[in-house]
Amino acid sequence: MAAMLEVTALEKVYTKGVLNRTPTFRLTADFGIERPAVVGMMGPNGSGKTTLFELITGSNAPTSGEVKVLGRNIHRVRTDQRDRLAIHYHQSYQVRHFRSWMPNAMMQPAGSDYPMVHLFDEPQFNTQDGYIGFMLDFFRRLRAEGRLVFLCVHPNEKFHLEILQEICEQFIFVQKGVVTSIPDFDALMAFEPARSYLGGLLADRAA
Amino acid sequence: MALFEARGIQKRFGARVVLENISLAIEAGTVHGIMGPNGAGKTTCFHVLTGHHPPDAGSILFDGNDITGLKPHVIARMGVSRSFQMMNLFDDAVVIENVMLALPAFRAVSGSPLRETFGDRHLVDLALTVLDQVGLAGRAWEKAKDLSYGDRRALEIAVALAAEPRILFLDEPTAGLGAQATQNLIRLIQKLRQHYTICVIEHDMRFLFELADTISVVHWGQVIVEGTPAGLKANKWVARSALGEVA
Repeated sequence: MAAMLEVTALEKVYTKGVLNRTPTFRLTADFGIERPAVVGMMGPNGSGKTTLFELITGSNAPTSGEVKVLGRNIHRVRTDQRDRLAIHYHQSYQVRHFRSWMPNAMMQPAGSDYPMVHLFDEPQFNTQDGYIGFMLDFFRRLRAEGRLVFLCVHPNEKFHLEILQEICEQFIFVQKGVVTSIPDFDALMAFEPARSYLGGLLADRAA
Repeated sequence: MALFEARGIQKRFGARVVLENISLAIEAGTVHGIMGPNGAGKTTCFHVLTGHHPPDAGSILFDGNDITGLKPHVIARMGVSRSFQMMNLFDDAVVIENVMLALPAFRAVSGSPLRETFGDRHLVDLALTVLDQVGLAGRAWEKAKDLSYGDRRALEIAVALAAEPRILFLDEPTAGLGAQATQNLIRLIQKLRQHYTICVIEHDMRFLFELADTISVVHWGQVIVEGTPAGLKANKWVARSALGEVA
């Protein structure tokens, strides 16, 4: 059976302009996730997290390389069906814009009615209500139903780390366009770039 | 078989997907709650369930009949009644007029001036019976605009009840109400549940925990969790937030 997600030699380069090809930002990624999982993603602002999400959902075209969801190259799936494979939740609502030069009739169908990959981009974890627990239960249910869940959190409070530790089996750390796979929470806590990014929160944890 | 059922409802507005996948079942004689954070799609869910927006996919069943895509007034006549989040009363009319206008028996004699209708003792009695259910029979002849905010909410419910529903949908009934008015509303809904199946859409978790038999938690346009108040309250994070422990 095909892997849930294969990101192969993926590269996205932004340049200063159409004529001036000086790169301003470069994101590279190469990783795979075989089975359903809840994957935590973090990294400093501007490191390329949202770009990576857009490349996975097929709403942003790569400069080179490919993204396969259950064996299907997302950028060759009909634009009106790409969200049946991978869906990007922007905080609380969902916006889907897909552009392609190729007409839909010439592209592959998604082969799924409900998305296989769910990417949650900084969901609002509000301390005042109890919805955090319901969101975590939802991530667990998606995983149990054979889906892949990405949870992008920008931890700025201690309970954000608690959430990640509770729910995520593995992690992706993104910094300056470089994507690193990390097998579990302990490895994340031992990973120097992550430690320096989390800074003060870790000091609080040790206290 | 559930009295009211939604299966795989999806609703888009252009590129914006508001409801991704809503499925729920409401058993006859129960109070069902739909709750979720702001922007979760609760009100759109309410509009789609009661026929004011047709869904882009999925189906809605009432008493075993597929009502997907039927006009709102057709659905209302079948016995699905709703209140509105925005106050929707005739302010200059007296309380009883607001109710009479919604009576099917009144609609049957529509065309006749209201003055003559007031002469119809049967219609007046029907309207008074409805007002009595929400505790407003004694204020039938006061202007709607003279009622307190909480009483106006009760009058809105009376207007919805006048249509003789089998299921009553209430959209954020506690919106704008103070603590005392909210308690009165809880008592009113507890009284009404003896006669009607009720679906309440509400942001206030405590309100639904007190009232509902079953709850669907909606977020990202989907039912993310469902259960009984006791089951949902047992969630570790809910318990912590109620105690103010999450920080």
